[in-house]
Amino acid sequence: MRIVAARLLPVVLALAAGSIVIILAHGNPVQAYGALLQGSFGSLQGIAETLAQTTVFIFAGLSVAIAFRAGLFNIGAEGQLLVGALTTAVAGAHLHVVAPLEIAGCLACGALGGAVWASIAGFLRARFGASEVITTIMLNYIAYLGANYLVSGPLRGSALAPETAPIDAAAVLPPIVAGTRLTAALPLAIIAAVGLWWWLGRTVGGFELRTVGRSERVARYAGISVTRVIVKTMAISGALAGLGGACEVLGLFHRFNAQLSPGYGFTSIAVALLAQSNPLGVIVSGFFFGVLSNGALSMQAFAGVPKDLISVIEGLIILFVALRWAGAQVTLHERVSESTSVGDGAVL
Amino acid sequence: MNAEGSLIAAVLGITLIKATPLTYAALGGVISENAGVVNIGLEGIMAAGAFSAVVASYYTHNLVLAVVGALAVGAVFGLILAYFTVTQGADQIIVGMAINVLGVGGAAFLLAAIFGQPGASPEVTSFSTIAAGLPGNAAWPILFLRYALVWGALALIVGLQLFLYRTKRGVHVRAVGEAPHAALAAGIDVFRVRYAAVITGAMLAALGGTYLSIGEVDLYSDGMVAGRGFIALAAVIFGRWTPLGAAGACLFFGFFSSLQIALQRANVPAQLLEMLPYLLTIVAIAGFIGRTRPPAADGIPFERT
Repeated sequence: MRIVAARLLPVVLALAAGSIVIILAHGNPVQAYGALLQGSFGSLQGIAETLAQTTVFIFAGLSVAIAFRAGLFNIGAEGQLLVGALTTAVAGAHLHVVAPLEIAGCLACGALGGAVWASIAGFLRARFGASEVITTIMLNYIAYLGANYLVSGPLRGSALAPETAPIDAAAVLPPIVAGTRLTAALPLAIIAAVGLWWWLGRTVGGFELRTVGRSERVARYAGISVTRVIVKTMAISGALAGLGGACEVLGLFHRFNAQLSPGYGFTSIAVALLAQSNPLGVIVSGFFFGVLSNGALSMQAFAGVPKDLISVIEGLIILFVALRWAGAQVTLHERVSESTSVGDGAVL
Repeated sequence: MNAEGSLIAAVLGITLIKATPLTYAALGGVISENAGVVNIGLEGIMAAGAFSAVVASYYTHNLVLAVVGALAVGAVFGLILAYFTVTQGADQIIVGMAINVLGVGGAAFLLAAIFGQPGASPEVTSFSTIAAGLPGNAAWPILFLRYALVWGALALIVGLQLFLYRTKRGVHVRAVGEAPHAALAAGIDVFRVRYAAVITGAMLAALGGTYLSIGEVDLYSDGMVAGRGFIALAAVIFGRWTPLGAAGACLFFGFFSSLQIALQRANVPAQLLEMLPYLLTIVAIAGFIGRTRPPAADGIPFERT
């Protein structure tokens, strides 16, 4: 019980600080949060939409979380998600096979796209000691600009807007609740989370990953190839973000445009931190951000509080989690200073 | 002047204009990282600075107060970063990301809350409106005032380089970033120097934002900073953590933005040119163009043991 309370503390503090912000903006916190909850849970439609929006937060949150567990900071989920969404959209428009196969193929392409994109950072980190923090930030922008270029030029499939051609009907994830946007993508995200939790805790690969996260030096003594684990972790991390992008395309948008993500990859950092990088916790924190994200618009419409309040709450949550982690967060630094001392230092 | 000459003049002018906001933010990053604190929140602080300059100008119609307002908000963000990372020893990257979200999100929230319109603020008193209102038509006072922040950036480059490498306090900053324990043994107050460097750095980033909103144009719009904070971060690395190097990188990146305008006519896609700073930074950090080495204690919390 105390553990649950401790985990909820940053959320409570952030929502409390959010209330003060609402009052300063001449709003009523009870009314604002009430409208938010009403929007997220007030109807079957609302609940389904909340769950639909939860999906991408779970996938992207898992992406950041698994990297954290290996002591890596993947700020590039946004770029990996975009690349995964783009490869999925291209596959969906060109595969032309029967429905279950086509969906599987598209998901695989999305995962592969994200994995390849993240692997660039993984390789540069493992081979040259280039900080993944910096390379993934830079790769985000390269992905965004590259995707933007592709959909306004070579891959443009629409006369009206810079976007790809629509995916085949066979590639579309159908709604599991009629009349809503909730698709099988959500169960898929939950399966991914449970699978990852099992893999991290119960397999040799997961053990190696966590060992590298605790201490690269210890991992090396134990005969674990740190380089291999780093590259593999970044690939898995990117694949998860790519799957998030794939589900957005197959379930919600049915085509790709470069504005498809309003920063899911960045919010996913908050998702992972709040869950303390536990894959099962990511399901819960992903749901929390799904609630905020879906409820924001009705908060704006019915309580007159601008929807961007949820960004402020998100920022405060990250800040409060960082504070609680202070001291316990040595692993990230330990990693940098240790690897520097053996001559392949991570350059920040 | 012939057409070619005016094109070159235009490219050089635009280079300076595009480099100015980057330079302020990058110099802010340089001073912070030289003291051992990575400021990955430059983007958010630039947005906060750009927005608060507009708010201050909206209410006071006074440029000086607008700049002071932006600097004050920058200082508050710097104080937050310093408190969490220096005093509490929290992870600098995580706190920096929080600041990005708070700066960009907070500006968007307040934009809607204060002006009641999403997207963009109304037009406010800016450097160009004040310059245009100067009496007479003497060219140089107008140019001086209109581009005051550009000249300020140029002066700051030299000033910060001299400060870091030619003054005792500058040596203290670098000592704290390279070997905090040795600095402490030498009687330097590590915490105080880090606080000062982080807050100053954040104020400079806010000034970069100020240039974007009331220097280049006369309003704040959502998404106005558009990744410049991260380009500035790239410039810090590309310029190897020195003021001159970082400013050189900013000019180089600014030069490419100005080329875009010329090259777009030649059908070179703008997006591919915009990628260049990011690509070059990856190349630089992977060590393909010489060794890049940050200050030794950069990114590591200091614990008095």
